[in-house]
Amino acid sequence: MIITFIIVLLAVFGLIYLARLTRGRTTANHSSADLRAGLRPLDLQAFRNLTDPAEDEYLRSALSRANYRRARRDRLRATLAYVSCAADNAAVLIRLGDAARLSPDPAVTEAAEKLVNSAIRLRLFAFQAAFRLHLGIVLPVVPNPANHLAERYELVTRQGLLLGRMQYPGRGGSVTV
Amino acid sequence: MGLLAWLWYYLWIAPYVLQVVLFGGMVRRRLYRDFPVFFAYTGWEPLAFVVLFSLARRPATTPTLYFTVYCVFLAVSTTLRFGILHEIFASVLKDYATLRRLKSPVFRWGTMVLLLVGLGLVAYARGNNADQNWFLLHAVKQVALILQSGLLFGLFLFLRYLNLSWRNPLFGIALGMGTFASVELAAAAIRARTGYVYTGYLDYVTMGTYHLCVVIWLYYLLVPRRGTGGFGQGSGLQSLPDAADVESWNQELERLLRP
Repeated sequence: MIITFIIVLLAVFGLIYLARLTRGRTTANHSSADLRAGLRPLDLQAFRNLTDPAEDEYLRSALSRANYRRARRDRLRATLAYVSCAADNAAVLIRLGDAARLSPDPAVTEAAEKLVNSAIRLRLFAFQAAFRLHLGIVLPVVPNPANHLAERYELVTRQGLLLGRMQYPGRGGSVTV
Repeated sequence: MGLLAWLWYYLWIAPYVLQVVLFGGMVRRRLYRDFPVFFAYTGWEPLAFVVLFSLARRPATTPTLYFTVYCVFLAVSTTLRFGILHEIFASVLKDYATLRRLKSPVFRWGTMVLLLVGLGLVAYARGNNADQNWFLLHAVKQVALILQSGLLFGLFLFLRYLNLSWRNPLFGIALGMGTFASVELAAAAIRARTGYVYTGYLDYVTMGTYHLCVVIWLYYLLVPRRGTGGFGQGSGLQSLPDAADVESWNQELERLLRP
């Protein structure tokens, strides 16, 4: 009886989810400004420091075992906040790139595809990293999984900027990817 | 004939009439090239209905014969629905090189896990033993529906997480399939548990749901959308931003990169 009840309940939740999705789809009309507001500032240098294995190694040698564990947990918690921020910004860039794929200019379309694919990779990687960071907070033996995330994030943001410059070439710039 | 009997016949016949209209519309708009399996399903369902309806109206038809033919047709429909799911996965992910590589392993592993969950749930749920064939049919149906709804909702959640938009016809097909799978799953679970007790009410619910699904498919596949030249992107940024917008985007992104 319980299994039947669970299945029926899941089916009802599924229907509610679909109804909300459809409603959200018909009422959603996000403007570029709405999306821009979704971007969250992230201190890249601090992010790099937090995920740098050399910094971790230094702390391990300089601190007592108990202090190191405490410091490591704090650093992993801070990294988690940065990873979540990077993942949110990647989601905004995915939407921006997806819209730019409608451009009639093949160069813009190509740049948009690059951006979308890199941002998707970043978001998937951030999901995986967040899971392992939670694990690392509980189990100190798990290595910091966000090692290359800051570099990936920087690359994706630069690709977003490059795409913007291509769509609005008047301003020029020196962005390279 | 009472009002309920009229409603019964309406709900039994109308969805298939609408599916014939959908079939014609898909031919006219050449949508069979984009969604061949869904097109085959749209053609198959009215055909199966005609055979089953004729059998049901023929006095010489025995319950065993009807049940056997029903099971065979159900197996074909279920196979086609899995084909549609694969088609939805392939169409959604084909535009993204990163996700294209993930399609086959995700579909394969998702199917394996959900199959195990479905089999586990059905094995654990001892049903009504009054009619073994009835229980078996709905137990197998439950497993198939757990698989279908699990894969579909998994895809919905995955795309939502990635902030990717659905193209309208695909969203419509997935929405109809998801609605159908959810209601059928609940009905199959109740039927497997209670036997024939609520089957009369459940028939109205499932037939009404199927009618709704066909209307959803008709709307999303045949009604053109505004502003995107027919069938465009789903919710989200609907068009290219203008120069001022891009400029402020650039400033924002530069700010993100500033040390």
